[in-house]
Amino acid sequence: MIDRPAAPELLEAMADTLSDVVMPACEGGPQHAARVVASLCRLLAREAADDGNGSALTTVELEEVLGEQGDLESLVTQLDQRLSGAKPDLSPAILELLRRSVERRLTIAKPDYL
Amino acid sequence: MTSKNAELELGLAEILADSGFEAPAVMVSGVASTGATRRTVFIDIESGGSQQRAVAQISSAANVAVLPISATAEAALINLMAEAGVPVPCVLGSDDAHDAVGGSVLIAEHVDGVTIPRHVLRAVEANSPVGEHLARQCGTALAKLHSAAIDRVPDSVPRVVEPNFFSAYVPTIVQALDHLQHSQPTFRFAAAWLEQNQPISSCEPSLVHGDFRNGNIIVDRDGLAALLDWELAHVGDPMEDLAYLCMRTWRFGNHHRPVGGFGSIESLRDGYTEAGGEWRDDAFQWWMVARTAWWGIGLAFQAETFTAGISSSIVHAASGRRVVELEYDLLAML
Repeated sequence: MIDRPAAPELLEAMADTLSDVVMPACEGGPQHAARVVASLCRLLAREAADDGNGSALTTVELEEVLGEQGDLESLVTQLDQRLSGAKPDLSPAILELLRRSVERRLTIAKPDYL
Repeated sequence: MTSKNAELELGLAEILADSGFEAPAVMVSGVASTGATRRTVFIDIESGGSQQRAVAQISSAANVAVLPISATAEAALINLMAEAGVPVPCVLGSDDAHDAVGGSVLIAEHVDGVTIPRHVLRAVEANSPVGEHLARQCGTALAKLHSAAIDRVPDSVPRVVEPNFFSAYVPTIVQALDHLQHSQPTFRFAAAWLEQNQPISSCEPSLVHGDFRNGNIIVDRDGLAALLDWELAHVGDPMEDLAYLCMRTWRFGNHHRPVGGFGSIESLRDGYTEAGGEWRDDAFQWWMVARTAWWGIGLAFQAETFTAGISSSIVHAASGRRVVELEYDLLAML
């Protein structure tokens, strides 16, 4: 049994209520706060409906580029270290990895920015 | 609002009396905004039989310590800018530590016009030449700002001590990244790129506004009416201001108009060079990357104040999900 509406539908409805009902009824700081919350509701609706492609980087992708193994957090830390210090690795493979990560995350965070 | 603000009103009147106002009476008429380090209130001043609208920017005593420059130094800078022909509100009074006000305050005349970015864009949207005119005016104002005599800039205003603006700036980015709780590989990549791609061009240091963007300007029917918020002013590379104004994040959705979402770089550059400014393209591109990285890291810090329980602001929470926009902007330039 799945109760309806599901999370994405509810979050969209919450965003519409904030935009169509709350925002016109206030101004200044409260109106801005309502706009921010509406935007976050739409972001969360996309995140709730996502099939997992929105995640920043996968372990497999990181392992492939770094040539190391580990969990996601430790691999991202290794990537950070690879880009730090006196001889940072600015190779096309790492740049491409960052681009893929950013584009996926933007699909969730703000798709019209792409 | 009068009784609630009675102490504040009396304190502001004292400061104005010290500045030469005749038996001033002050009434708070509204709150314009409440920022991270200071709040801005609208006030009405009655003095010598006449009335005047003004704006008071107040920092609590706790926040005064973290302000980059003091209220009196900011007032001195604004007066210097007025002499240089930069459109600024006339300063009416300032104090770095006033008991009744509860901190520092800068009082300036009220300037009519719009400041909220989407209102600015709406005002110029109907007629695109207005936006180009505004971009050109921004260039002219920046040329005048950058030509001000730096030996008259208050000593407390930060100065780049290294001979090279660029090699001095990169460590500030790296240190900020080191202080973040979570890894930010895109910004690490940008920091390394900035280190390896420093511009060849150079120039004499000048006063830099430091936060010149859509949102910190007042726009009226004639275009640029005033530049606001000088608390990030410093002495450094003038191209920093020109690049910052053109960052995609300050275009507020009007990405096809790089100058604040309302004009072209050609108009900005024409206004700047015709008023005596020297445009250095390599430095412009470098600062676009540097300042985009700086603001992206700034958003990550805002989000950390929320996740650490220091701030309960929904705007700070939302900043964490905006960091990726700045990462995207960076990668588009690298």
